[in-house]
Amino acid sequence: MNRIFLAFRIFFGTLFGSAPAQQVALLLEGPTEEAKPPQPVPEKVKPSAPSPAAKKPLRSEALTLLAALQREARLVDLIQEPLSDYSDEQIGAAARDVLRDCHKVLDRLFALQPATEANEGSNLETPASFDAAEYKVSGNVSGEPPYHGQLVHPGWKATKCDMPQWQGSADAALMVAPIEIEIT
Amino acid sequence: MSAEFVVGIDLGTTNSVVSYCRLDAETPEASLLDIPQLVAADAVETRPSLPSVWYLTREHEAAAFASALPWNSEPGFVIGEFARQQAAEHPERTIAAAKSWLAHASVDRRAKILPWQAPDEVAKISPVEATRRYLQHLVAAWNDAFSESPLDQQMVVLTVPASFDASARELTREAALEAGLPANLVLLEEPQAAVYAWLADEGDNWRRHVNVGDRVLVCDVGGGTTDLSMIGVADHDGDLSLQRIAVGRHLLVGGDNMDLALAHFVAAKFGEQGVQLNPWDSVSLWHSCRTAKESLLAEDGKDSHKISILGRGRSVIGGTKSIEVERTEVAALLTDGFFPLCEATDRPLRQRQSGFQQMGLPYETDTAVTKHVAAFVHDHQPADQPDQAPTLVLFNGGVFRSEALRNRMLAAFTNWFPTPLVDLRSDLTERNASLDQAVACGAAFYGWSKHRGAIRIRGGTARSYYIGVETAGLAIPGAPRPLKALCVVPFGMEEGTQTDIPSQEIGVVLGEPATFRFFSSSVRKEDQPGQMLSQWTDDELSETDSMEAELPAGADLEDPFVPVRFQSKVTELGVLELWCVSTNSDGRWKLEFSVRESTE
Repeated sequence: MNRIFLAFRIFFGTLFGSAPAQQVALLLEGPTEEAKPPQPVPEKVKPSAPSPAAKKPLRSEALTLLAALQREARLVDLIQEPLSDYSDEQIGAAARDVLRDCHKVLDRLFALQPATEANEGSNLETPASFDAAEYKVSGNVSGEPPYHGQLVHPGWKATKCDMPQWQGSADAALMVAPIEIEIT
Repeated sequence: MSAEFVVGIDLGTTNSVVSYCRLDAETPEASLLDIPQLVAADAVETRPSLPSVWYLTREHEAAAFASALPWNSEPGFVIGEFARQQAAEHPERTIAAAKSWLAHASVDRRAKILPWQAPDEVAKISPVEATRRYLQHLVAAWNDAFSESPLDQQMVVLTVPASFDASARELTREAALEAGLPANLVLLEEPQAAVYAWLADEGDNWRRHVNVGDRVLVCDVGGGTTDLSMIGVADHDGDLSLQRIAVGRHLLVGGDNMDLALAHFVAAKFGEQGVQLNPWDSVSLWHSCRTAKESLLAEDGKDSHKISILGRGRSVIGGTKSIEVERTEVAALLTDGFFPLCEATDRPLRQRQSGFQQMGLPYETDTAVTKHVAAFVHDHQPADQPDQAPTLVLFNGGVFRSEALRNRMLAAFTNWFPTPLVDLRSDLTERNASLDQAVACGAAFYGWSKHRGAIRIRGGTARSYYIGVETAGLAIPGAPRPLKALCVVPFGMEEGTQTDIPSQEIGVVLGEPATFRFFSSSVRKEDQPGQMLSQWTDDELSETDSMEAELPAGADLEDPFVPVRFQSKVTELGVLELWCVSTNSDGRWKLEFSVRESTE
């Protein structure tokens, strides 16, 4: 009953008064040019571009990588399996396929390359200054770099980093592999 | 034109690739566009190729998928890697090989028929629309990466199979324009694009590899189709020039057939050991076979190879089934099954016509690619030089990444031709990966060289075209009037030319659509415009979509008929146009393809 009364009031109010008409227009259509209040409109925050530091991402990229290795290569299944139950041959048969597919994933996402083109066993000199994450020196290390020695491991380096962009919801932020159900 | 880039699009039957280079580059270095796509229900990756597969999402998935891509995509479907995976488990909700449907003249390609034979609850779309959607995804990926240089302002070259006839090309163009490609879009035949890719790789050295009089056989065997062309090397004002001499039929046989054949073979071996495979195993097996194929075919590979199907449940080791496969068995199956050594006179088995055949895609009955090549070479011997054989071969397509298959093809040629064919890609082992990207890169190089006025393959139309004309004369009850075919477009009609067809006047009724039966031939190369054929075999002329024009009824004309002759035109962009030209007024009316089933 109240609503019918209100509707009549609005109807006659808008028909005969200009101020109520403006208010109703505002209600129905949002602010129009004439109806806009004189005070300055506050700056709108762009909804599409939140600042990156503002929010912690819902999901760690590490889980997204793990999910890709599971999805395409079944790596998590292999690692979670109790190895003592199986013979080397059984493990080998499954591992061959899993490792092959893991390689494909890593190659596609990171295109791993040896960090130096020098061969293992050849002589190599470090730069005069270097990061400990770039060169690891061992043995008879003394004095200031550059160090001179034998290459033991050429290292690995990603030549790109094309991580999948995770698109799931907050509820699924910790999922590595979905629950699979077959409808019969 | 303010185009900054030339963009080559290979809209493949199974995968699409986009390549681009700057128009002002001194030497063109083609790059590949990274294409964002769903790769799992919850992950988007950018990859250099987009599987040409469309998946109709279910309602519970739609909301999550619609917002996944960097651009606003229409909800309800997904294209790319995730769609490809879904195809194995939900074939009734996926469309693959839409491109082959475009060339399938016995269905209405603007009708909502795909997914083929899907249940009623699945909303279907037409082959043209599926093609548009694939292209829209590529357009969006480009515009997302190059927001300053939108694709509709670039120079775009889109490749089509050489075997596409005029109506399939027109439908491709229609889908491309609707998808937002520029109106000055150029269509390029895929085998020609493969040649351009080779030219781009060789740079100025290409002239050293070919001589005047050489004929290059282009063998392009992709995932779903085999496309053949012959390119001649001629002397043009003292410089070498290339000319496309012949194109093959649309052959639906390719690498996917080989993967499937191997999977069936291995499944049977499992069966012998009492291991029954369920449908899910078969999907996994197909994947294993695809990856095992290359090492199994390698000539210096191991004598036996283990093929495993990982367990479906969590127990990946315990659930794994594996089997030893002998390399010789696989070589016999794939090399001899698909590339048998055969005589030059061997021909593929004919399609068996059964009244109860389902009207799906016309897959080849005979998977022997070598025999299809033998038939192609024979059909296109020049009439005046029947002994002239190809001298060079250019391999293209993913199947020929296998050295063993390239060698087998070369071995077959030694039985056919007096001199062994020279493999233009003999240095391929270094760059195997590029064979499935060559068409896109070649298309970009073509655009660049067209812009620069550099080397260009001359070709013109790949077929000759005919309009069916009923002969006048006394009607015989019960018998159709004899049909004659009037040649309106000769083979090799060049871009940017037009011809008035000399013929008798043909009366066209005003005010109602005039429909003409329309035929094409890839083998009748000598017919001249105006020539009237009264007899032909089914091999020579094939009927394609009819053409129609509606001539408006003019009030001032007393006669309900208007006498016309035909005029044909190939535009600079390679679009074939046919016009009816009135012989007693200024009227001209364009004929359009009526791409509809004739039964309607």
